[in-house]
Amino acid sequence: MTVVLASIWGVWAPYLPSFLRGLVITMEITGLGLAVAIVLGAILAGFKLSRFRTLRLIATVYVDIVRSIPVLVLLFLAYYGLGQLGFTLSGIASATTALGAYYAALLCEIFRGGVQGVEKGQKEAADALGLGRVSGFARVILPQAVLRVLPPSTNQLSNIIKDSSLVVTIGVADLMARSYQASASTFRPMDMFVLAGIIYMALYLVIARAIERWELNVQRRRG
Amino acid sequence: MSNDVVVELEGVRKCFGPRVIFDDVSLSVHRSEVVAVIGPSGAGKSTLIRCINRLNTFERGVIRALGHEVYGTEEGKPALKRDELRELRTEIGMVFQTFNLFPHLTVMKNVMLAPQRVKGLSEAQATARALELLEMVGLSHRKDAHPRQLSGGEQQRVAICRALAMEPKVMLFDEPTSMLDPELVGDVLATIRRLALDGMTMILVTHEMMFAKEVANTVVVMADGRIAEMGPARQVLSAPKTERARSFLERVLPHTDGGGVTDVRTHPQDQGGPIAGPIDSIGGSALWSREADEEELL
Repeated sequence: MTVVLASIWGVWAPYLPSFLRGLVITMEITGLGLAVAIVLGAILAGFKLSRFRTLRLIATVYVDIVRSIPVLVLLFLAYYGLGQLGFTLSGIASATTALGAYYAALLCEIFRGGVQGVEKGQKEAADALGLGRVSGFARVILPQAVLRVLPPSTNQLSNIIKDSSLVVTIGVADLMARSYQASASTFRPMDMFVLAGIIYMALYLVIARAIERWELNVQRRRG
Repeated sequence: MSNDVVVELEGVRKCFGPRVIFDDVSLSVHRSEVVAVIGPSGAGKSTLIRCINRLNTFERGVIRALGHEVYGTEEGKPALKRDELRELRTEIGMVFQTFNLFPHLTVMKNVMLAPQRVKGLSEAQATARALELLEMVGLSHRKDAHPRQLSGGEQQRVAICRALAMEPKVMLFDEPTSMLDPELVGDVLATIRRLALDGMTMILVTHEMMFAKEVANTVVVMADGRIAEMGPARQVLSAPKTERARSFLERVLPHTDGGGVTDVRTHPQDQGGPIAGPIDSIGGSALWSREADEEELL
């Protein structure tokens, strides 16, 4: 057993620095994409909850279209498609755009559900106290909605991390691309992709557990 | 409208779609008056008081509150601008059947939120006011707890403090004890009783007939979408004039002059007796209507 482990370690060790540089790029893409997705998703959710039909319609159409297109197609549209139109985006910018656009559509639905899921009596209590729409939302609805959307949003985080690996197709040197190169130059795809998988898994689990712990803490404090 | 009138309803009608909940409801509430609204489940009692701070809209008639000559609905159009409505709501305290405390905030913050955000009180001012109110209801030791850590009775008393912190000119109570375990009702009623003694104007939807008799000046019996009877509490509750009010009260009051049906709780011998006897009275007891309303809520 020790021998096997030692020999695997021997294969992995030289590539580890490269993999970790790739991990940084993966995290960068994921983080930027997620940031765009959260901001755009929140705006779209606001549209969906708006009193104005036009805004609701815009959000609905956006969500329906974007959600039904594979992320890879969105990525190629951003990278090659926009390039053809003269807006040349870097690989990372394309990935941020594609992932941000796609996950905004998914988060929009989660956010909307989170806000609508807050008990009706909460809004009524805020209204009855004369809290305005802004402070009623910011002080009463939003803090409760955030806790509700955390678990399904964490779920999407795992997907966005995994989808970030699609950038291998447009030549960004992320974790996926580096494991691919390593497997090609060593002829040991099993070892290299297992290592990549372990690193992806570690990234997700660390973040997910941190969020979960924070959530539990908040819930415990609220009794 | 005399200066003394705090809330006035004139020919108010409320529908949900084609269904008329109540119609032609007129009512004046004077300063320091305590009005208890009673009646069978589904009579629209809660809906009625929710119209006063416009948590519900209504279809016809006029409601005047606190001198604001507003609230009329001409063809369903609200006569109040959003800011005016918000302003008015700051002067109308509301206590809900389900408490509706803010679960993410501590007891203190629940009470402090609106005074700080709406009235612009400083942290220190809001803290002082909240502590004073919590002291009054005997809950200052729970100030750092979150609502879910409190019993229902405690939550409701905090909810009363939250409303009082805005220094309202009138308080609306929407079945404040209906969701409480029987042994927790007393503390909440004691708090309301104390407000009555302090001269607070209150409109109270309740199933607690004995409490209504004791605290209310005026009792309004709503049934079949109308005010069936309205008058001084003692008179309405012990000698109702209308048939509709009498038949309702006979079913919920332990000792009405009408006799006939009695409340099982006051006659322990009935509980051990054959099932045939008290079925009707169980169905009509105050205890039962509480449960029926809970079902409605679900």
